[in-house]
Amino acid sequence: MAANFWTSSHYKQLLDPEEVDVVFPVDKERGITVEDAKLIKFYMTNYIVKLAQYVKVRQRVVATAITYMRRVFTRRSMTDYNPRLVAPTCLYLAAKAEESTVQARLLVFYIKKIQNTEEKYKYEIKEILEMEMKILEALNYYLVVYHPYRALSQLLQDAGMSDSTQQTWGLVNDTYKMDLILVHPPHLIALACIYIASVQKEKENTAWFEELRVDMNVVKNIAMEILDFYDSHKLMTDDRINAAMNKLPG
Amino acid sequence: MAAVDQLLTKKVADRYLKREVLGEGTYGVVYKAIDTKTGQTVAIKKIRLGKQKEGVNFTALREIKLLKELKDPNIIELIDAFPHKGNLHLVFEFMETDLEAVIRDRNIVLSPADIKSYIQMTLRGLAFCHKKWVLHRDMKPNNLLIGPAGQLKLADFGLARVFGSPDRRFTHQVFARWYRAPELLFGAKQYGPGVDVWAAACIFAELLLRRPFLQGNSDIDQLGKIFAAFGTPKPSQWPDMVFLPDYVEYQYVSGQPLRTLFPMASDDCLDLLGKMFTYDPKARISAQQALEHRYFTSIPPPTEPASLPRPPPKKESINPKVSDFNPQDGPTVLSPPRKQRRVMPHREGFDANAHNMIKMDDHGNEPRQAAGERSEHAPMSLDFSVFGMRPPNRPTINSADRSHLKKKLDLEFQLPEEE
Repeated sequence: MAANFWTSSHYKQLLDPEEVDVVFPVDKERGITVEDAKLIKFYMTNYIVKLAQYVKVRQRVVATAITYMRRVFTRRSMTDYNPRLVAPTCLYLAAKAEESTVQARLLVFYIKKIQNTEEKYKYEIKEILEMEMKILEALNYYLVVYHPYRALSQLLQDAGMSDSTQQTWGLVNDTYKMDLILVHPPHLIALACIYIASVQKEKENTAWFEELRVDMNVVKNIAMEILDFYDSHKLMTDDRINAAMNKLPG
Repeated sequence: MAAVDQLLTKKVADRYLKREVLGEGTYGVVYKAIDTKTGQTVAIKKIRLGKQKEGVNFTALREIKLLKELKDPNIIELIDAFPHKGNLHLVFEFMETDLEAVIRDRNIVLSPADIKSYIQMTLRGLAFCHKKWVLHRDMKPNNLLIGPAGQLKLADFGLARVFGSPDRRFTHQVFARWYRAPELLFGAKQYGPGVDVWAAACIFAELLLRRPFLQGNSDIDQLGKIFAAFGTPKPSQWPDMVFLPDYVEYQYVSGQPLRTLFPMASDDCLDLLGKMFTYDPKARISAQQALEHRYFTSIPPPTEPASLPRPPPKKESINPKVSDFNPQDGPTVLSPPRKQRRVMPHREGFDANAHNMIKMDDHGNEPRQAAGERSEHAPMSLDFSVFGMRPPNRPTINSADRSHLKKKLDLEFQLPEEE
């Protein structure tokens, strides 16, 4: 969406990292820690991506859905808003908001297909529609979300790095496995991904970055966060994820 | 927490004291209410949930999404939203009337300064939308609401869309037909803010004439009306025209000078109007440029909103639309001879057509010559004001268009986008 980010609700709603890593008292009672919450959100992000592949929606819809879900959990507990229902509902709502509606029954069909053994994921249309209303409320009806993708292609072209499109695009996709989109303006996330790609390729473009008039310290910090995530990713084992998921209500 | 949720919901709903029903909106009942928190009068739209089990209405969601981002004095304010008894409710600031009611009210005289004020507020709201990359796509007088202090605000963003991706394709089935820009009538799928500017120009013309300017009764006829007014566009005037999907060649007509169409308008006014009615959307003036046009700085200055003439609030006049028309008043005027060549919409009371036209001249602020005096050389505008006993039905997006539109909207996501 090419609208003006700086005057948008998205910009006004950017959070500090501490505001993102919240665990609500009811969740704490269940033994859910900050780390658990991260694992659950990570797992549910992958779930959204997988569902999206079946219902065939654009990457932008996926990114918006994940952003909605992550925003919801900064304001609502996982005990009251079961992530297993919140995730598909966010996809449903994002598809509508991004003008590419997915039918609820189609979504329900694919949920059943993906989770054929898991009873805990089986939700009916009615439950998704009820959750839709609650999510709208939790989001305070702010639905416009900006993503790094548009800035990414423009910046890559400008930097003469169009050959890195695929790699950086993948990097950007991976940033949604963290809460970066709630904390940083999208173009800085795009820059951080370009920065990582250029370091990896040993492409010398310090001059290009310096000309951008952005705070390169912020960009570097984002890049570090992304790299840290890749490190910790190795430790996100199925066992740990399952342990965290099992703390959620059924 | 579920209980707490319910409590909160109840409290939000309790915030508003429900008053009378104002009408049936695009997707549900609209009623008046008092916001006990602020004492403000508000209009609450209850969004009916669709029958097809598709949750929150798509059009309503669009409106919420965009209005949450668009905060401007000339755009309707979405104050609040809340679920209540399973339905979503949208709380808007209460607006007394709309521009269509102003234009139609024969008791209202609109001075050039009043017209300037109304069109300035329209363009301000539009310029703000465009600055935020939002196309309204349904500009027409009854979507321009007028508040208690005379402020005009753009409303009904149910068709609005974010633009900006240069190669993004949209449906051309937008706008009520009379306000549709020529590129849309030729089936353009890639269009921009110019479509809203054209519609604003139609509204501008309607303020000057006190009736809809180009009243086509089909898309083909609409283009015919446009060309009859301004002349068939030459390729030099609009190079991209011939490449539009539904382009068909029209027989060449020369059109009429704006001066003839709008005899009472000032030179500045006509200059701006002409720039807004430019055929080539790329050459058409933008809403922001229009606001900077000398028309708005030349005398007379635009009337202060609070001093603008307005019809009585809707509830007070039980049936203003009937009382406006009294065929017993005014002299009988023969239809201009040219009229016979035109395709006229079939409407009841067609024969009694000329009465209203004259009445309008009597009461309108533009003391034009009585049409009879110059029936030899009637501006085309006269042809269309002659609809008989009832004011002409404004076409909105009709059901055929609507289903077509829905299909298009559903299809749009299947087109690959650049992202």
